[in-house]
Amino acid sequence: MQPTTHPSKSHGLWRLTRGQRLRYGAAVVAIALANVCMLGAPVIAGHALDVVTRRDIAFAIAPLAWLVNGFDEADRFLAYLAVSAVAAVLVTGVGAVFLYLRGRWAAVASESLARRVRDALYLRLHNLPAAFFDNADTGDLVQRCSSDVETVRMFLSSQVVEIGRTVLLLAVMAPLLFARDVFLASVGVCLMPFLALGAFLFFSRVRRRFQAADEAEGAMTAVLQENLTGIRVVRAFARQEHEQERFGVRNRAYRDKLYGVNRLEAAYWGLSDLFCLSQIGLVLIVGSVFMARGGITVGELFVFVSLVSQVIWPVRRLGEVLTDSGKAVVALGRIRHILEAEEESREPAPSIARASGAIAFDAVRAGYKPDRAAVVDFSVRIPAGQTVGIVGPPGSGKSTLVRLLMRLYPIHQGRILVDGLDVREVDRRWLRDQMGVVMQDPFLYSRTIADNLRVARPDAPDEEIVAAAREADIAEAIGGFPSGYQTRVGERGVTLSGGQRQRLALARALLKNPPILVLDDSLSAVDTVTERRILDALARRRGRQTTLVIAHRLSSVQHADRILVMERGRLVQDGVHEELAGAPGPYRRLCEIQGLVDAPEAPRHVPATGGGA
Amino acid sequence: MAEAGAEELGADVDTGDGFDAAAAADGLQLDLWKRLLGYAFVYKKELAALLGVAFATALLEPVYPLIAKWVVDDVEANGMGASFAWWGGLYLVCNLVMATAVVGLIAFSGKIQAFTSHDIRRQAFANLQRLSFSYYDQRSSGWLLARLTADCNRLTDILAWALLDVVWSATTMLGFAVAMFVMNWRLALVALIVMPIVAWVSAKFRKRILTTARLVRSTNSRITGAYNESIMGVLTSKAFVREQANARDFGQLTRTMYRVSVRNLLLAAVYLPLVLLLAALATNMALAAGGSMLLVGTVGVGTLIAFMMFVRHFFEPVETIGQWFAEMQMAQAAAERVLSLIDATPEIRDSDAVLAAIAAEQDRPSGVRTAIDGGPERITEIELCGVGFAYQNANPVLRDINLRVGMDETVAIVGPTGGGKSTLVNIICRFYEPTAGRVLIDGVDYRSRSLHWLQSNLGMVLQNAHVFSGSVRENIRYGRLEASDEEVEWCAKLAGAHDFIVEMERGYDTEVGEGGGRLSAGQKQLVSFARAILAEPQILVMDEATSSVDTETERKIQQGLKFVLQGRISFVIAHRLSTIRNATRIVVVDGGRIVETGDHATLLAADGHYATLHRQQSLNEATRAWPADRPPGGDTG
Repeated sequence: MQPTTHPSKSHGLWRLTRGQRLRYGAAVVAIALANVCMLGAPVIAGHALDVVTRRDIAFAIAPLAWLVNGFDEADRFLAYLAVSAVAAVLVTGVGAVFLYLRGRWAAVASESLARRVRDALYLRLHNLPAAFFDNADTGDLVQRCSSDVETVRMFLSSQVVEIGRTVLLLAVMAPLLFARDVFLASVGVCLMPFLALGAFLFFSRVRRRFQAADEAEGAMTAVLQENLTGIRVVRAFARQEHEQERFGVRNRAYRDKLYGVNRLEAAYWGLSDLFCLSQIGLVLIVGSVFMARGGITVGELFVFVSLVSQVIWPVRRLGEVLTDSGKAVVALGRIRHILEAEEESREPAPSIARASGAIAFDAVRAGYKPDRAAVVDFSVRIPAGQTVGIVGPPGSGKSTLVRLLMRLYPIHQGRILVDGLDVREVDRRWLRDQMGVVMQDPFLYSRTIADNLRVARPDAPDEEIVAAAREADIAEAIGGFPSGYQTRVGERGVTLSGGQRQRLALARALLKNPPILVLDDSLSAVDTVTERRILDALARRRGRQTTLVIAHRLSSVQHADRILVMERGRLVQDGVHEELAGAPGPYRRLCEIQGLVDAPEAPRHVPATGGGA
Repeated sequence: MAEAGAEELGADVDTGDGFDAAAAADGLQLDLWKRLLGYAFVYKKELAALLGVAFATALLEPVYPLIAKWVVDDVEANGMGASFAWWGGLYLVCNLVMATAVVGLIAFSGKIQAFTSHDIRRQAFANLQRLSFSYYDQRSSGWLLARLTADCNRLTDILAWALLDVVWSATTMLGFAVAMFVMNWRLALVALIVMPIVAWVSAKFRKRILTTARLVRSTNSRITGAYNESIMGVLTSKAFVREQANARDFGQLTRTMYRVSVRNLLLAAVYLPLVLLLAALATNMALAAGGSMLLVGTVGVGTLIAFMMFVRHFFEPVETIGQWFAEMQMAQAAAERVLSLIDATPEIRDSDAVLAAIAAEQDRPSGVRTAIDGGPERITEIELCGVGFAYQNANPVLRDINLRVGMDETVAIVGPTGGGKSTLVNIICRFYEPTAGRVLIDGVDYRSRSLHWLQSNLGMVLQNAHVFSGSVRENIRYGRLEASDEEVEWCAKLAGAHDFIVEMERGYDTEVGEGGGRLSAGQKQLVSFARAILAEPQILVMDEATSSVDTETERKIQQGLKFVLQGRISFVIAHRLSTIRNATRIVVVDGGRIVETGDHATLLAADGHYATLHRQQSLNEATRAWPADRPPGGDTG
């Protein structure tokens, strides 16, 4: 347990327990009281046994004996038996109520806390900067939010209480036993420390073996998943046998690891059973010697054996529980990693609600790694309402521009202005509200199509949703789905093609009707006929918003008011299609590559090209 | 209302934990469990040993209270003259036998668990490799994954541990009961009168606890899904400023989680104290009744002590049996799903005649130039005769397709999205079989040839190029497992992948990550293209194979492609017309029919669909816009 470096922030996690601390404390008290009651029952029974064997009321518990004072000699023992039985059941009943209360309070307290932690994690994930996710593995983050939270919850709801219970149980039992006979009491607990220690050592030692089995299962699942997602490739190359072999290796490895773990468990349970049973046997045999000597009564022997066998099993659990607490500490640290990560900064929103859409890049330099700039010395002024095409080879910094504009990533040098406002000085949310961005591989939520579109504007009426879908040329496809706009994305049976996803994302951005529309290579999976229709629809909106179109296909940008050509993060050409296509340079080269094939005389030239002209 | 909403959502998200309230309501389906037990019967020795040891343990359990009785009685009778050493020795021997038995029980069950789950998974996996694409169309890969992992583990858990527990519990209870009745039947009746109540309470509560536990689990997996979505879609959520709205939706999910978890825990909080109370009731009834008998001298104090111990231990197995019974009822849906996966028969498979031919061919000394089914190895022509296709009960996707393609030919298939291009290719590859008409390979219906033979002569490059985790080299080699490193690199060069591969950190040995995560979409396409070339297929299919590749790289590929296409039958689907230029023939598919066929020039001249398509791409405008001072293609710098 390392001392935390940010005491003020760890306070945040502690703050989440507010309102539940008292309840949690009450749960621990309740379990203590429950244990006292549960131990009381055998004690009452032990006294009753002595009373009836010795036929002497002197062995009775005073308050209970007082109850049977009224009975005559003949009936008194019988009455005492009945009173004892009722008392034992009542005491157990009270214990059961306490047990219930501890269950209730612990459940409410730990579940409330888990809920708060989940909510806090979720909100935090949304407010972290985009760069945080570049360096993080999705699976790992999800694991922190799900199984690590679960580990901590389990620790709070059962393990802490379990440890508390065992300790209290021992604390209550020890005086009871030691008060009767110190030596016999010592015999009764002599194996317990070894048992707890042994369990603790065992579980901490074999943890790696358990992990190895988990990992083997993970490796097997990974092969399985790959096979299932790549089944088309497997079939296309008729590699079924190869795949069975690959899977077989992992499957067998997992089987053997699992069996190994099971055998370890077998050894542990067998050995610890031996300890537990021997502890009980020791009390019984040594106690009977005491009884023969007259040191204790038969009732006391019964109490000894009962108490020891009641407490020995939780003691065995103690070792296991203590090992699990180690896991909880690790899990807590992993959760903190997210809860304490730096959020995106907050700036005030400007007074204008809607920007006009004028954008200016002013000597911008930025990149994902400090030593490698993705955009260098980039300066461009885009007046409001202009449609700008951006082309360039992969990795030339086109998409980075968009991310900088949305302020997903920091700018190292220079400025970006929207409506004359430096993007670093305005509220990010306001800034992003000004833009509709469609990415190449757009993300859709696993909700209905209508809900996915409404993400852009939750209050949009149905007509506008349909209109946006029409503009993006996806309305017809949606109409073809069995449940139309209510079809769930990703549901079994209905899977959207890449082009459909792109068009849906476009409709979503259009529905937002933002001052700035950005299409980041977002028509790449759409066929040319559809693309034409979409571009025509966009052309009709011309002037209503500033539009940035990033594309590989020249057909997407050639009608733009202006075309920017990027190479290695720099702006190398800037002009209209006719100008750029007419002058030598990268744009013209692109035209030739794409145009060459489709010139009417192309078939005649193919052999010449193929021959290595 | 909120309740119904939650359940509805839960039904949509398949969690694979097998929560199925309807199935839980039914009784036990014995035939289902009998079949599953069949998997355990493979391990006869372990099974027999397990039963034997369980039985022995059960006989040993009642001995402990008996020893207590004997010791107490001995001391009562003989005082210090009692044979303590003898009793101690007996106790120790019992302990040793018991500990050994426990080791055996868990080890045998553990073996059955590990091995049966392995066997079930192996069978299911093998069958998955045979099942047709139509099977996969109806089930997500996540669903299938859950069957082979979560479901399978759960079933074999039950199979191994329930078997152990039920056998042990039943024999132990029997042993206890017999011991009690032999000692004093009246006292036994008094003590056991509570048992039916315990059994009833156990069955009731266990089932409810399990039902709510499933609900907790399915809600939990929805929460996990929500986290996953929030991370995957973080940019989109930021772009649409969805932070608050998403958190609000998520808050409802965690509220549901809170509610169902607390409900589940409360049930347990009531159940356990209740059982404790009932056990105390039984013990103290035995005390009162036994004590009164002791007073009149009909029982000894040893017997009474033994009885009270018996009663306490007697209830543990009752609980255990109740728990497994509920667990088995809940797991029946999972069992059905797993068995149905193993039993599913592939729609497309070799006919009996083909299987016979393959068997006959195996016996013969390896013939020259013959395939595994005895037919010719070479494919020189593929012909589609009146082929039509419809998915189950849906409108036909393809209608009356007639097409004959010979060796060295490259057919480009173009047309609007959803026109049936990919389906056509899938039928040629026999991933689907035509619902009308026939596909002939060198004049023979391909249904009378071996499926494996045809598909091992395929090379496919798909739009969503799938690469496996492992190195780049391993991925390319997937096309031909015995290919040398030189061949791998040669094909990578042909595919235009070599340049980017050698630029990577470890060249061909670079790990591509799960699902090729470390490669861009275009790079994945190039790798899968190289993989297809390496396979030296007789039939090469490229379905949007270079859609994510940049223009310059694509041009490089075009040069290698001419060589690749030689001596094969090739099909190319592409939106980009530039990709089609090596085609010897262009087929325009629209509305499930072939609407035009011909080469580029003829089709342009015909001024039909293809010409429209071509015009709309309007790249030709670009070439016309500026004066071509050099012949196109000459300017590569």
